[in-house]
Amino acid sequence: MREKTSQLTGFMGLMGRLPAAAATAIDGASSGNSVFLRAATFSRPDGASGSYGDIVVSGDAVLPVLPALAELLPAGGLARGSVVAVDRSGLLCLALVAGASAAGAWCGVAGVPDLGVVAAAGLGAAPARLMLVPDPGPGWPQVVASMLEACEVVVVRPPAQPQAEARRRLEGVLRRGGGVLVVAGEWEGAPVRLRVTRRSWAGIGDGYGSLRACRAEVVAEGRGAVTRPRPRWLWLPAPDGTVAPDETAAADLSFRGSAVTGAAARAAAAPRRAAR
Amino acid sequence: MKAPGQVAGPDEPARVLAVWCPGWLEEDASGAEARAFGDVITVVEGFCPEVEILRPGLCLLAARGPARYFGGEDALARKIADAVTAHGVVCHTGVAAGQFAAALAARAVRPDGTGVVVPPGGARQFLAPHPVHVLAAPALAGQLARLGIRTLGDLAALPARDVASRFGAEGTAAQRVARGEEARRLATGPPQADLSATLEFDPPVHAEPAVFAAKGLAEQMLAGLASRGLSCVRVRVEVTDTDGRESTRLWRHDGLLSALAVAQRVRWQLDGWSSGAAAEDGPDESVCGIAMLRLVPDHLVPDEGRQLGLWGDDLISGRVERAAVRLQAMLGHESVAHPVLAGGRGPGEQVMLVPFGDIRDARHPADRPWPARIPPPAPATVYPVPRPARVIDAAGAPVTVTGRAAVSASPDALTVGDSPWLAITAWAGPWPVTERWWDERNATRRARFQLVTEDGIAWLAAVELGRWQIEARYD
Repeated sequence: MREKTSQLTGFMGLMGRLPAAAATAIDGASSGNSVFLRAATFSRPDGASGSYGDIVVSGDAVLPVLPALAELLPAGGLARGSVVAVDRSGLLCLALVAGASAAGAWCGVAGVPDLGVVAAAGLGAAPARLMLVPDPGPGWPQVVASMLEACEVVVVRPPAQPQAEARRRLEGVLRRGGGVLVVAGEWEGAPVRLRVTRRSWAGIGDGYGSLRACRAEVVAEGRGAVTRPRPRWLWLPAPDGTVAPDETAAADLSFRGSAVTGAAARAAAAPRRAAR
Repeated sequence: MKAPGQVAGPDEPARVLAVWCPGWLEEDASGAEARAFGDVITVVEGFCPEVEILRPGLCLLAARGPARYFGGEDALARKIADAVTAHGVVCHTGVAAGQFAAALAARAVRPDGTGVVVPPGGARQFLAPHPVHVLAAPALAGQLARLGIRTLGDLAALPARDVASRFGAEGTAAQRVARGEEARRLATGPPQADLSATLEFDPPVHAEPAVFAAKGLAEQMLAGLASRGLSCVRVRVEVTDTDGRESTRLWRHDGLLSALAVAQRVRWQLDGWSSGAAAEDGPDESVCGIAMLRLVPDHLVPDEGRQLGLWGDDLISGRVERAAVRLQAMLGHESVAHPVLAGGRGPGEQVMLVPFGDIRDARHPADRPWPARIPPPAPATVYPVPRPARVIDAAGAPVTVTGRAAVSASPDALTVGDSPWLAITAWAGPWPVTERWWDERNATRRARFQLVTEDGIAWLAAVELGRWQIEARYD
């Protein structure tokens, strides 16, 4: 298992760098209990060699993600039975599940009444395989557990800080069912936490243009393989609407609208506000 | 052409009586209309137990038997109309050969308020002046109208061979309808084996568990049909309570039924039945427990393999349906939704949430050009209700937009709700939109902006009547 995972990491890392043009489609409805990719074709960007195909497609351990995000995740995808916490970005949540959804998985979304379905569809997610519970109420852990029985990936924005017991129970459900929980917010003990630290928008100026693309620095933190934070620059989204790694990412923040998140920036702005 | 009063030919379909109650909506999400129409059905069932419900507001029954008993079709039509009207519902009846002609006859009300009875053999003459748009085939009707064939009479008069070669099977079927021959039904022979599914409850149960069981029962029935390559268009739901009272009703779905759709109809029937019984016999006599539930497939057709999933080509597996039903039982029918992409200019208009299990088309189709639509990328966060905001310029005055779409000054800072002020680092706009000015209640006139604040978040803002709102967030 351990070996398989490391093999996967290597492979997925490779995947991320290969040009998408070399993609070929292979049939995803394969072996035994890998019901999750039923009747779906899912494109593998490495072309001919079929030797790794079964590992990824049969989905025993990992659900596919968009190639640009594979590098950020230690398993090279969404590891089944695990939790991924995402902070400060709606689009990153959607991008995380878009790959699995495009490959034929069902996605549930609980507690996100303001979900941008059009943005999700633009990233490749299939709206026809989305199940939305905008307001799960105080019994949200039970709702999420029920959704995990039907959906391979569930995105949840907990209405309140999750209690330790509810968290443990859900983690148990995940381990048994092999689903993936993407938490938009805090989740204590999540093996992977993704966070957008900086962003800069392109295409918009001082009274002209319109939003075209955004470069975002995404940091992956967590336990195990990701104890050392890994910052990556991504186009989130790229001008063509996809998510792509940003090759020119030497922190060139010369765009209009560039920003550094943090107390320093706010503190700098505060006196100005107060003066009004 | 046959003269009115002539004996029906061998091609003439069976006599059908249609009961039409104007003003009923198409199926709504909660099924309230369907439930209310149940009262009307109960009245009609007093005349003939086999009633086919086409949709709330329109039901059909075979006229031949009851007409003999009640003294002719005229008398039957009048009696049913009187009985339903006495119940407080406006109602018209019509009799003709075939469902299509009957449904139109019910709408063609005579000046004295009585329904139209089209004599045997007179269906073609009756149908002739109706426009082709009454055919339930908008694409074909549009094509015919463009070719100058505006009425069913015109269509009926065309040579059948030419219609077949130009319009194919659909055209031929439409022409048969226009000639009063009605498209022949597919193999409707009686089932060879008992394909019904029965479940006895011991101990008796209440409505909710019965509906839950109905879904499994429907799956069982559909599996039995599928194994014989058959499919059913109508399903008869029979419910027996512990006192031995029965409620039997035929339900029709446009197209072919799914297990979830059957369970939904069982729920409507039970709701209508228990409320009806309570009103009739007092609260003590309401339905105390359901002892037996039976689903009988009716009107079998060969399964031509065109049974689509509820939403286009994506078949919804039983696993997902089960979870959705359970969640809906927990949270309510409306709380579990599935999105349908629609057309519109603002981000909120481009998605419609449809309760899971319902089928609904987008209000406005998405594949039309929507000038002045916000250009991509789409925002990741779209507020269901826009959030109030304030935008000020460098001098601290609110930013306004004139009627000619001129901005008073460069926006400098933004606050959303009660959150702290954020400096605006880049902005674009205004993009004025004037929508539905012809409709007073739904008219909007606003100017949209995109704003980027110091924290790197971009916002889609709109100003309407001097008030700023945040419609969506790019994060």
